[in-house]
Amino acid sequence: MGLAYKFDWGVLWRDPYGVWLLKGIWLTIQLGLLAWVIALALGILIGTIRISPWRLPRFLATAYVEVFRNIPFMVQLFFWYFAGPMLFGQSLQFRINAIIGLNYYVAILALGLYTASRVAEHTRAGFSAISRDHYQAALSTGLSHFQMYRYVIIPYALRIIIPPLTTEFLTIFKNSSIAMTIGVAETTFMSYKIDSETFHGLEATTGAMVIYLILGLGVVKLMGFLESRFRIAGLIGRK
Amino acid sequence: MRKFFIISFCFMLGVILIGSVVLADETMDRIEKTGKLRVGFREDSIPFAFIDPKVGKQVGFSVDMTYELAQKLSEYFGKKIEIEPFTVTTKTRIPMVANATVDVEMGSTTYTQEREDVVDFSIIFFFSETDFLVPKDSPIKTIQDLTGKRLGGARGTTNLKAIEDQAAKGLYKPKEIATLEGHAQGFLALKTGKIDAYSTDRSLLEGLRMKDTNPENWRTCGLAIAYEPYGYMMRKNTSDFRHFLNDTIRWSIKTGKFYELYDKWMGPKGVVPISMSPAYKSYLEMIVYPMQDNWWKKK
Repeated sequence: MGLAYKFDWGVLWRDPYGVWLLKGIWLTIQLGLLAWVIALALGILIGTIRISPWRLPRFLATAYVEVFRNIPFMVQLFFWYFAGPMLFGQSLQFRINAIIGLNYYVAILALGLYTASRVAEHTRAGFSAISRDHYQAALSTGLSHFQMYRYVIIPYALRIIIPPLTTEFLTIFKNSSIAMTIGVAETTFMSYKIDSETFHGLEATTGAMVIYLILGLGVVKLMGFLESRFRIAGLIGRK
Repeated sequence: MRKFFIISFCFMLGVILIGSVVLADETMDRIEKTGKLRVGFREDSIPFAFIDPKVGKQVGFSVDMTYELAQKLSEYFGKKIEIEPFTVTTKTRIPMVANATVDVEMGSTTYTQEREDVVDFSIIFFFSETDFLVPKDSPIKTIQDLTGKRLGGARGTTNLKAIEDQAAKGLYKPKEIATLEGHAQGFLALKTGKIDAYSTDRSLLEGLRMKDTNPENWRTCGLAIAYEPYGYMMRKNTSDFRHFLNDTIRWSIKTGKFYELYDKWMGPKGVVPISMSPAYKSYLEMIVYPMQDNWWKKK
């Protein structure tokens, strides 16, 4: 009898497949980091707006969060890639579709916008986690409202949300694999490509799994370092 | 952390190994025992295996051939063998065949040497040519015209590999070669102007074109940058089953059923009209060896 499938792990490093995988990893890292910059900036901004006293901005921020959080990422990605350019009108649409590497930019943007909605929720949670007393104590020392946020509340809130942000940072790398569906040649794309050329899909997929695992463990290590670096003794953060 | 890593790796390996043990089972025995023939069908491979919107089920040339196979298997085992359909895509067809989820994939899979290392193929039943679908007024007419154009192909297809290989060899220098998720998405990319030409087998391109609301807006280029021999795909080391499938195909050619099905799907009034080339006709005639009536009877 024996196995019906012969394993050949060489497909993970043999020429040209090894180079493909490395290129894929590099693209995964680019997608994850660039989208993370968008997500963090936009997410913290929107999360802060959601606790602001102004009604209209608060409403818009809430609408943003609910729209982006409740639509599956893959659907959003397809929408931005195929229907997104149509939002710009006939003539501009044609110019946008002619951009080389459009899928790469769309993937970063869509991933960033999607993750921003989640980061915004964590930010809001961070603010709510700070007790009323803190606000009042800050104000009673003579700080203005703006100073209170700038020097007391926001620094606290950002520290509180480091653990949930770790999860988001991990998720952004994992979600970046969905960019494959619009033809961005990241790690999963490359492992599928190796599969379709060699038909050794089990090896290629296992390779991709190990790559994501290592990448994720790296992120956990980095965030763990940040967490301990910025911890406030007795209040936030764990050893 | 390292320990955790090793444990999870062993776990993954374990899953793969357990999976492989299950693989070692004779297809024919299983079909006889369960009375079910598990078949993988594509959903977008017109006219071989595709979803008929009116029925909501897979239909096509290869699907009809599957009924022939089930019919002959029923006669062979002396009991009713039912078809249990599974949907496969270009990405999942090999794993699903290799891990024995399906006994055979009946669609439009190109027979290649690399694939032959992992799965087994039936005899070749059709030849298609790699061509491009372009807008009606496109300037693309010859292979050289592909230089500077944005080309697209579906992930995991031999067509995509063919255009990539030929571009690497310098036959033409496209501006970009895009990977799309499937033929429907490829056609969408072509319609929205993300690519200038979409490539796959000509039969499939014609199928896509015919499904569009305005088929006359599109044309294939009449190029044949590669030949695609189609075969049905099954797990390795199932020689009895493969033999039976091959004989079913040969028998259908001999009895004329094959031509009847061809005419139904690819004849002048079929879903995608593709005329049989003389070479293809003689190929079909030549692969039929003398078969006895009732060859499917158990001896």
